[in-house]
Amino acid sequence: MWEAIAFYSLAFFLVFFAFKTITVPNPIHAALYLVLTMIGLGAAFFNLGAQFIAGVQMIVYAGAVMVLFVMVLMLFDLKAELRSFSKGLFSGGLKVMSAALLAGLAIGAANSSVAILDTQDAAKPTMDVTRQLGILLYTKYLYAFEALGILLLAVAVGVVAVSRIKGGTHAQH
Amino acid sequence: MGIDSFEFTVNLLKMIVIFMMMVQIVPLLVWVERRGSAFIQNRLGPNRVGPLGLMQLLADAVKFLTKQEFVPGRGYPALFYIAPVVAMIPAALAFGAIPLSMPVNVDAFDWLGQHWGPYVFKFQSYEIGIGIVFVLGVSSLAAFGVLLAGYGSNNKYALFGALRASAQTISYELAMGLAIVGVILLFGSFNFADIVNAQAAPLNFMLAGHKVELGFLPNWGIFFQPLGAVILFAAMFAETNRLPFDLPEAEGELVAGYHTEYAGFKFNMFFIGEYGHMLVASALMVTFYFGGYTLYPFLTPETAPKIMAPIAAMFGWSTTSTAVSLLGALLLHVVLLVKMVIFLWIFIHVRWTLPRFRYDQLMDLGWRKMLPWALFNTIATAVLILVMRHNWGA
Repeated sequence: MWEAIAFYSLAFFLVFFAFKTITVPNPIHAALYLVLTMIGLGAAFFNLGAQFIAGVQMIVYAGAVMVLFVMVLMLFDLKAELRSFSKGLFSGGLKVMSAALLAGLAIGAANSSVAILDTQDAAKPTMDVTRQLGILLYTKYLYAFEALGILLLAVAVGVVAVSRIKGGTHAQH
Repeated sequence: MGIDSFEFTVNLLKMIVIFMMMVQIVPLLVWVERRGSAFIQNRLGPNRVGPLGLMQLLADAVKFLTKQEFVPGRGYPALFYIAPVVAMIPAALAFGAIPLSMPVNVDAFDWLGQHWGPYVFKFQSYEIGIGIVFVLGVSSLAAFGVLLAGYGSNNKYALFGALRASAQTISYELAMGLAIVGVILLFGSFNFADIVNAQAAPLNFMLAGHKVELGFLPNWGIFFQPLGAVILFAAMFAETNRLPFDLPEAEGELVAGYHTEYAGFKFNMFFIGEYGHMLVASALMVTFYFGGYTLYPFLTPETAPKIMAPIAAMFGWSTTSTAVSLLGALLLHVVLLVKMVIFLWIFIHVRWTLPRFRYDQLMDLGWRKMLPWALFNTIATAVLILVMRHNWGA
């Protein structure tokens, strides 16, 4: 029973933070709500017994990606964005549409995963979960894992190339 | 879950005591920092209030509590209020997950007309199987406290300090994480207790299929990972925003950086956060590289209860395993504290010895020197472990 209460209160907060992420006008506040969503996701993973994924979620998304995100947002002058997203028919429509998308996702997830709380008891880990994950990643899903690594490398190289062409502090004259 | 009220109460008290321990060490560290800096710079330091100036801490606390509340008018009050709390939470959470001594065994006993079964209490706030990942994840959130402070103050100095701090934290987090990977590979575990227990043994490694043992040295991580230890310790300085990495609050350029607008107790909470990170950093250094709460061959989880058994008998306490186990755990806790104090003193000594880096030097050191060396350390450790632990037909 306690696990159900924990799960549903966590789920409520997650949906609330996600909702605020898409409805607050200030981009920085939206990013901060996204941080809360990421931390909540980490807690949700932890609640489901996936401790390692929870930790990595915190380190990579909440810790590194979102810090970068918030930092870059703070570098911009956001007055125009604030104005255009706080009123107007267009931004209102966008907000309604993304809220509808979120609601649809939530309903779909709730429909397809009624048994989500039973699976946790069923799959009591016999072996260290982290070890299982590592073995799976480096045997069964090795090619997908390596392909993902190459994709990320290509993205990193692309970003450097683009930033060098378009001027800025690292431009080559 | 099978947790009864006694266990619940003890666990709750444990959390509170360990948190209070972290908070109470801060004023002592501030005193050491001020007196230590005076000693290094050939001054006297605060020595007027009380013996050795120790009462200065009390005076400071009263001053912090009675200062006027101030919120910048054009800022974001909600973020401004949240920021000091967010700065303090990561350090407190991370410190709670580090084992401070060996587990305490409590025998079954009768109390209040009820039978209470045997317990094992961990000497830490909470035990998480993958403690290292948890500590890394939680302490990576520390940047948000600074970011919120800088943004919520609506002050250019504060914002610049916050931006510098977050850039610095991200840059050095990579090197820090990679340095720790070496330790995880070496001991094959994400669990702090496993790592500490592995170090309470004579120095041993596999060489060409044979086990080599050097009995006179402990099996500390520093002997296997010297490069990793140096990288981790340097990155920790950056993570705690202390000199020589204190660009976020460079007073010559940014007044006081991200906490320019903070005064009184809110400023104090940033302070507690910074010193809490120092505590976590030194606890991690000790746990990973210097044997944690053990001191092989003198003090290990096996020998500590035996040493304390006569003392328990001397005080007339029954030499049940509960009292002996508790005393042994306390003895090992003192070992950990002594080791941590050495690292805290190094933190303080470095602060008053080295000048601040320039910003480009900071980024150069992080990305072009420490990150490649940490990567090299990871790969070299992995290859060496694979080669040395391979069974060469022996």
